[in-house]
Amino acid sequence: MKGAAMLPVRVLWNAFFWTYERATWQYDLMVIAILAFVWLTPPDWLGDPMASGPGPVAWVLAMLTAD
Amino acid sequence: MTFTGLVGQVCMLPLRLIIGVCVALRIHPNILTFVGVLINFAAAWALGLGKFTTAGMIMVVANIFDFIDGKVAVELKAVSAFGGFWDSVIDRFSDISLFIGLIFLYSQLGRTDYVMIAALAMMFAIMTSYTRARAESLIRKCKVGFMERPERIVLFMIGAFTNRMAAVLWVILVLSVFTVADRIIYTYRELRDTQEALA
Repeated sequence: MKGAAMLPVRVLWNAFFWTYERATWQYDLMVIAILAFVWLTPPDWLGDPMASGPGPVAWVLAMLTAD
Repeated sequence: MTFTGLVGQVCMLPLRLIIGVCVALRIHPNILTFVGVLINFAAAWALGLGKFTTAGMIMVVANIFDFIDGKVAVELKAVSAFGGFWDSVIDRFSDISLFIGLIFLYSQLGRTDYVMIAALAMMFAIMTSYTRARAESLIRKCKVGFMERPERIVLFMIGAFTNRMAAVLWVILVLSVFTVADRIIYTYRELRDTQEALA
């Protein structure tokens, strides 16, 4: 029980105190998390001075829903 | 096979061809390194003008040179201590120039907040390299922390091609802070353990 409760803390510690090599599943997860932040965060939230348009995720959704 | 491993292998296919051409032409790796930084200056210029897609394309070309120089050195049996030193120094110029391009752009736009974010990201990007170089003069290896140069470069390209540079700068800044902290903590522990073993 204690181990399960400590799991999020361990995951966070391992993410911040990074010792994994490239091309490992941990690396893949980190890359996915970063790409999700970059592409899914609305530019307005960050006050992005240059961002325009709906962004890559919206482009993909538009392509998928296009007739 | 992991996703990033697969991407790496796919990218290696054209790079092997370019490496082969450079080896056949016997282009000295130090020249490749220098050409890489010159092209990176052009990318920084494009970033400064807010032409992100152009900057992204130039960065791709610049980083091909950046990536292949070491491999060409091995193939040509031209690996040298000076080559390693030259590569590290030139890489810092490339890194800094891209940040300067963005700092110029955001200052032109009157966005002091992003001038500061880009400047801080630049500081921690440089410190990422410095902490490792300094640590490895004291301990055998200090390869901890996520945000190293290849990650930064790929993020810059993603930011440029998808016009999400602000988010990219935040990621580089936050993860570079953690990388520098990781390296300080790791070096402290390694030196402490060595001292304890000797005592």
